[in-house]
Amino acid sequence: MKLNFLDRVITKLAAQVVEFFEIIGGVTAFTVKFFANVFRPPYEIGEVRKHMDELGVKTLALVSVTGFIIGLVLGMQSQPVMARFGAEMFLPGMIALSVVRELGPVITALIFAGRVGSGIGAELGSMRVTEQIDAMEVSAIDPFKYLVVTRVLACTLMLPILTVYVNFVAILGGYISVIITQNLTFALYVDLVIRVLKFSDILPGVAKTFIFGFIVGIVGSYLGYNANKGTEGVGKASTTSVVISSLLILLIDVIMVRITLFLFPE
Amino acid sequence: MIKVSNLNISFGENVVLNGVDLEVPNGSTIVVLGRSGIGKSVLLKCLVRLIEPDTGQIEIDGKSVLNLKIKELNELRKEIGFLFQSAALYDSMNVEENLAFPLKRHTELSDKEIKTRIIEMLDMVGLQEALKKMPTELSGGMKKRIGFARSLILYPKIMLYDEPTTGLDPVTSKEITRLILKMQERFKMTSVVVTHDMICALSVADQIVMLEDGKFMFKGSTNELIKSSDVFLKNFLSTNLENYPKDPSERR
Repeated sequence: MKLNFLDRVITKLAAQVVEFFEIIGGVTAFTVKFFANVFRPPYEIGEVRKHMDELGVKTLALVSVTGFIIGLVLGMQSQPVMARFGAEMFLPGMIALSVVRELGPVITALIFAGRVGSGIGAELGSMRVTEQIDAMEVSAIDPFKYLVVTRVLACTLMLPILTVYVNFVAILGGYISVIITQNLTFALYVDLVIRVLKFSDILPGVAKTFIFGFIVGIVGSYLGYNANKGTEGVGKASTTSVVISSLLILLIDVIMVRITLFLFPE
Repeated sequence: MIKVSNLNISFGENVVLNGVDLEVPNGSTIVVLGRSGIGKSVLLKCLVRLIEPDTGQIEIDGKSVLNLKIKELNELRKEIGFLFQSAALYDSMNVEENLAFPLKRHTELSDKEIKTRIIEMLDMVGLQEALKKMPTELSGGMKKRIGFARSLILYPKIMLYDEPTTGLDPVTSKEITRLILKMQERFKMTSVVVTHDMICALSVADQIVMLEDGKFMFKGSTNELIKSSDVFLKNFLSTNLENYPKDPSERR
């Protein structure tokens, strides 16, 4: 009986691993197709701008609240530890470094994957099952270029903008946590933050969000574009795109951290 | 002219089309009949290469569809209208934007001329008031009409209909059938209609084919179909034709 249960678990796990690598293979082929199309006219700039507007509006409130709370909680949790070592004056710098180098980009990307990736998966999936993509193709309009390239570009360009915004909001949240326990003016807080932050802290943090944004766009688009089995397929495209893009964001982050440390060892 | 020769397509073990041959002369309408899931829509989608067949030949106006490069294929597609079973209206666009979409991409028409063409098409399908409506605000019959208007907006030479009356009540089905006849008369298109609605089929067809087991088991005129002594055909017809007028002049 126990063995049967184990068998079932292993079989299911193996199937999920196979499915994961199938999706990765498909996403890779989709990425190649994306680069083959992105530099070819028509450029659909209006569509890219429209999607960027939508993505910004869709996620702004959520990332604002999350960013503020990250800064606030980070400050509240770190303050007693810093106080133990008599290093409270370093708290603003520590908050800024943690947010700019790691927390801001990764948390924003994960929220983006949840909100936008699932949306793209569901939207394109629904267009696939209701034959809208076929209708576009049969009208001699390239649906890949019109639907996929524009969304992936919008994600790639919008996530860095949101990340910079979240970094500011999180640092502001950190200030609130600092003034609860310390008598620190906002000007001094900003001064302490700026003194610590270097170009080599900001650049890699923002640069990797271009890749994260691309991942969210391409994974959501791939799963939605290839959705089948009616509404069930649409739901699956939506949820799977969140799971896969979140996982890829975390994996790529590990690689990006290693590259950053190699390029900027200081 | 549409010419299909020895078309074969399978999905896994399931053989859908097994050596299908078909000829549709210019300006005539052929109806493909058959049970649900038998491969009628697959055949229609093969004609515009939405589905690639395994083997066979498809020629449209002398061009070998399966050998065309994507650019050439798209040029050909501009001359083909396709009415989808679900109408397939773009749900992020309103009716006007849906109809303007192919015009903005494939013609040099000014905004004013585009608007005039849209109004003309909406007038033809009797839905001028739907101009600013979103697809979610339309009934099934209205969606079909708008889908029809969109597929005609580039004045195609060939029209493909995928189950134009499926899912509609008898009155709306009859209206759509009348609309098909009206458009055929006005644009003189070469048409392929896929359906299992016998009333629509017998009303619009110049020629009828019946798909069964991956092949056409019947090819002929509407009268030949009605008079056929084949048991399968008789069964297929009897379930659909209880209300069908016996007098041909009443059918249209």
